[in-house]
Amino acid sequence: MFKFKHESLETNAGLLLVLTMLAISIGGLVEIAPLFMIDTTMEKVDGVRPYTPLEQRGRDIFIREGCYTCHSQMIRPFRDEQLRYGHYSLASESKYDHPFQWGSKRTGPDLARVGGKYSNEWHVQHLLKPTSVVPESVMPNYPWLLSTPLDYSDIGDRMRALRITGVPYSTNEEEYKRNVDKFGEKIAKTLHIPDAQKNLIEQAQEGNYDGDRSNVSEMDALIAYLQVLGTMVDFRQYKPEELVKYR
Amino acid sequence: MLQWLANPENTKPLGLVIFFITFCLIVVWVYGSKRRGEQLEEHRNIPFLDEEDASKDKSHG
Amino acid sequence: MAATSNPATEQYNFDIVRKFSIMTLVWGVVGMLVGVYIASELAWPFLNFDSPFFSFGRFRPVHTSGVIFGFGGSALFATSYYVVQRTCQTRLFAPGLATFTFWGWQAVIVLAALSYVMGYSQGKEYAEMEWPIDLLIEVIWVSYMAVFIGTLMKRKQPHIYVANWFYLSFILATALLHTFNNVAVPVGLFTMKSYSLFSGPQDAMLQWWYGHNAVGFFLTAAFLGMMYYFVPKHAGRPVYSYRLSIVHFWALSFMYMWVGTHHLHWTAIPDWTSTLAATFSIMLLLPSWGGMINGIMTLSGAWDKLRTDPVMRFMIVALSFYGMSTFEGPLMSLKDVNALSHYTDWTVGHVHSGALGWVAMISFGSMYHMIPRLWNTQLYSVRLVNIHFWLATIGVLLYITAMWISGIMQGLMWRAFDDFGNLQYSFVESVAAMHPFYAMRAIGGMFFLTGMILMAYNCFMTIRQGQRAEQAAPAAAVASA
Repeated sequence: MFKFKHESLETNAGLLLVLTMLAISIGGLVEIAPLFMIDTTMEKVDGVRPYTPLEQRGRDIFIREGCYTCHSQMIRPFRDEQLRYGHYSLASESKYDHPFQWGSKRTGPDLARVGGKYSNEWHVQHLLKPTSVVPESVMPNYPWLLSTPLDYSDIGDRMRALRITGVPYSTNEEEYKRNVDKFGEKIAKTLHIPDAQKNLIEQAQEGNYDGDRSNVSEMDALIAYLQVLGTMVDFRQYKPEELVKYR
Repeated sequence: MLQWLANPENTKPLGLVIFFITFCLIVVWVYGSKRRGEQLEEHRNIPFLDEEDASKDKSHG
Repeated sequence: MAATSNPATEQYNFDIVRKFSIMTLVWGVVGMLVGVYIASELAWPFLNFDSPFFSFGRFRPVHTSGVIFGFGGSALFATSYYVVQRTCQTRLFAPGLATFTFWGWQAVIVLAALSYVMGYSQGKEYAEMEWPIDLLIEVIWVSYMAVFIGTLMKRKQPHIYVANWFYLSFILATALLHTFNNVAVPVGLFTMKSYSLFSGPQDAMLQWWYGHNAVGFFLTAAFLGMMYYFVPKHAGRPVYSYRLSIVHFWALSFMYMWVGTHHLHWTAIPDWTSTLAATFSIMLLLPSWGGMINGIMTLSGAWDKLRTDPVMRFMIVALSFYGMSTFEGPLMSLKDVNALSHYTDWTVGHVHSGALGWVAMISFGSMYHMIPRLWNTQLYSVRLVNIHFWLATIGVLLYITAMWISGIMQGLMWRAFDDFGNLQYSFVESVAAMHPFYAMRAIGGMFFLTGMILMAYNCFMTIRQGQRAEQAAPAAAVASA
């Protein structure tokens, strides 16, 4: 008959190791594993698309400067947050975010729906010197964003790395066509890796984010990213009862 | 199996049952027998057996 | 009571423990200095100096990595190598590998800090290190595991003392967490940049599974291992109940892994994961307090030591802060409380009541116990320890009080409505209201840092004293042998 002896455990490093491993693995497994296997975690909403090359470079800069240490990108379903920031964030809205940037601290306001709330000029001014537009702000100045030209030489490599993680950037005709079906032609074009540099420069010049068309600065990229945050889903299309099922 | 686990209505009570049974077993095992208890408490002294010559610890001056 | 010979210094491999102890002090001073600096940036933003290298966003991970992995990590390497040898009554397995863990780990901290200020970050809290550094950590951690488990295998004492169980679970859990949370696709072989393999909700779940268990195993289980050796040893009395420590161990190891999701209440993840995490967070109170009681009661019958011995006082106050933080934690994991506390300074205060009050104080106590024994001498000044104790205690109290007030105030201001149902405050009004508390927090931090510097000085003098005695005594040692 099996007789459990803790003795054998205390005196056997190997057994202690295995049982400890077991004890610490169960929790993570039960909580996290289901999220990878079921699609009930994500709403099916239209409009969410991968970032354009310029926006993605802006996102890289957002992460580089550690903006997430003070700004969240996750609006909770409360009345005050709805009034202050807008509709609560959906899981699918960050499905192309590698890594996620939901954040954990609001030293500054939430940015999940900051896109379109302020003009490009306001953002330039604010990033250069936040106190010039918000006198009580404790945010640092970011003057180097405007003076540093954006390095987009490796944009193709970056998009290819993201493609491996599952972001549907296209490398060939076939993948491009699939994107046309899924996102429409206009967006599919911006997701095509062979044209990444061309698209990036084009968007920077058309958008004229930093007020200077002659070059592409890091400011262009960051503002392009900020301006798209939270704008992809048109919430007028959905009933609240539908979205709430996914919580 | 994984599909079954994916349903929260299954995993919630499962987690509770696993946790509770394991916990009870450990508690019963640890506190169940007086003799075993004494054996276990013996191990308290291990930190004081560490110097070859010293039978008592040099306490802090 | 001047020791003339100490066989322990020959019986065990103390060289590696000494190295890590010194670096514990160095990273303590550096990490806390950076902490005070970034706290001051929030109170007086001109300190960002328009420089990318010192701006809050890049500098904050320097602080977190410096104190968690530099100070805390070095303290854990030092004490685990010390405790495992002494309780197994054997020398360290593979000393060369142990030396590698030392140089490797120091390289990790330096590289991480430099890479952050240069703008390389994975963008995940407490896991900001980019992929090449992550790989280096992986190699070091496997070596560490080999040294630790190897030493356990060659032990002379048949039973594995409970402190080692805690250290073991910390080593295993950290390996698991680090590996899974850092799976990323590099942009190129010769670039630092990478993208997390996971996205959105999955990435969030993994990150906070990592983030909370870094607290649970790195900053709790491992320091409990420290507690289970150093508190009894320093008090000169065995631990209150060995059986309780067994229950404590299994319950803690099992339950911690479930609770990470309480960092994601009300976010875009399924509700049930959130509820499950909150439930386990509440249950976690039991083993946590079991451990605290076990530690504090070890002193029962010798309470006078608290009055006479500041080192003992560090340990017991650390346990009290542990008890307080592990009560506050479950409270904050309740969804209704969390709705108010999340995203505010309350969380920051909670982390620091654990990190300064528990982790740092138990490390101070253990280091003050261990360093004189490593160099075969006595503490240079007990009075300085006493001053350090009061500076540290006042510092923590100032810090967490400031963060409680500012956190709750922020939470209430954000959700306040006026009579017409509109938001009462703009966001920036809440920022402005924080200023006095940010200043108070920075001052609390300065107290704590001053204590840390005193400790470094005290330990430096202790070590010098030990080295001098050793140089003066070789003749005597030979004669006595």
